Amino acid sequence: MASEEKPEVADPTKAAAENPYTQHYVVQKGDTLSKIAREYYGDAMLYPKIFEANRDILSDPNRIKPGQRLRIP
Amino acid sequence: MLKRTTWITAMAVLVLAAACANQKGPATKAVADAETALAAFRDDAARLLPDDLSAVDSTLASLKDSLAKGDFKAVVAAAPDLSSRIAALRDATDAKKAEWEAANAAAREQWSVYAADLPKMVEAIQSRVDILGKARRLPRNVSQEAFDSAKSGLDWMTTTWAEANDAFNAGNAVDAAAKAQAVKDKGNEVLGLLGLAPAAS
Repeated sequence: MASEEKPEVADPTKAAAENPYTQHYVVQKGDTLSKIAREYYGDAMLYPKIFEANRDILSDPNRIKPGQRLRIP
Repeated sequence: MLKRTTWITAMAVLVLAAACANQKGPATKAVADAETALAAFRDDAARLLPDDLSAVDSTLASLKDSLAKGDFKAVVAAAPDLSSRIAALRDATDAKKAEWEAANAAAREQWSVYAADLPKMVEAIQSRVDILGKARRLPRNVSQEAFDSAKSGLDWMTTTWAEANDAFNAGNAVDAAAKAQAVKDKGNEVLGLLGLAPAAS
């Protein structure tokens, strides 16, 4: 039986190094990076900015999971 | 009769001359002592109580002028008052210095918080401004006017933060902390303009 897939979250040990002024967004069902980029930047084409800021938890910009807490630079 | 008058006049001149000569030493010493006393705290007084120092300097200059003109009596007569004023200025300078050092110590503690926090604030705002500057349109919650204000606010923050660092490095933590607080206030305003919730402080 396959174990339930859990969303990856940023390493809590890195929390101290996090910028407290950086905005965060928790991924909802049906979200894409483009959709999030349009919401926060007004331009879906800027999704790579979010992907690059979250390379520690994202390996593919087309694969995000509900519950993931993304940095929105 | 004439002979007697001449003799009295000559005696009077001699007594006067002797009296003058007697005053020259104390007068010269009084001026030298005043200069020495003032020199001991002149730099602090110039920084903390410049107007008061200027007034004392003016009196000292007047005494030196009298000394140069040979008016030793005037110098000796005025010396005690000048000495008192120098002592009062020294006490006031010491008090002001202690007050300034206490404020500076408190500001240095505040500064360590600002130094850890504000570069992150500036970095987060800079990042968002750079990204929004590349966007074909702005997000719904950010108007063009707000974005322009945010950009000019960021410029002001960067400049003022550099000035704050300069002030701190020059030893003026009080001024540095005041500038840092102004940067923080502006930063919170800019975060609001960009639709970024200010971090809890």
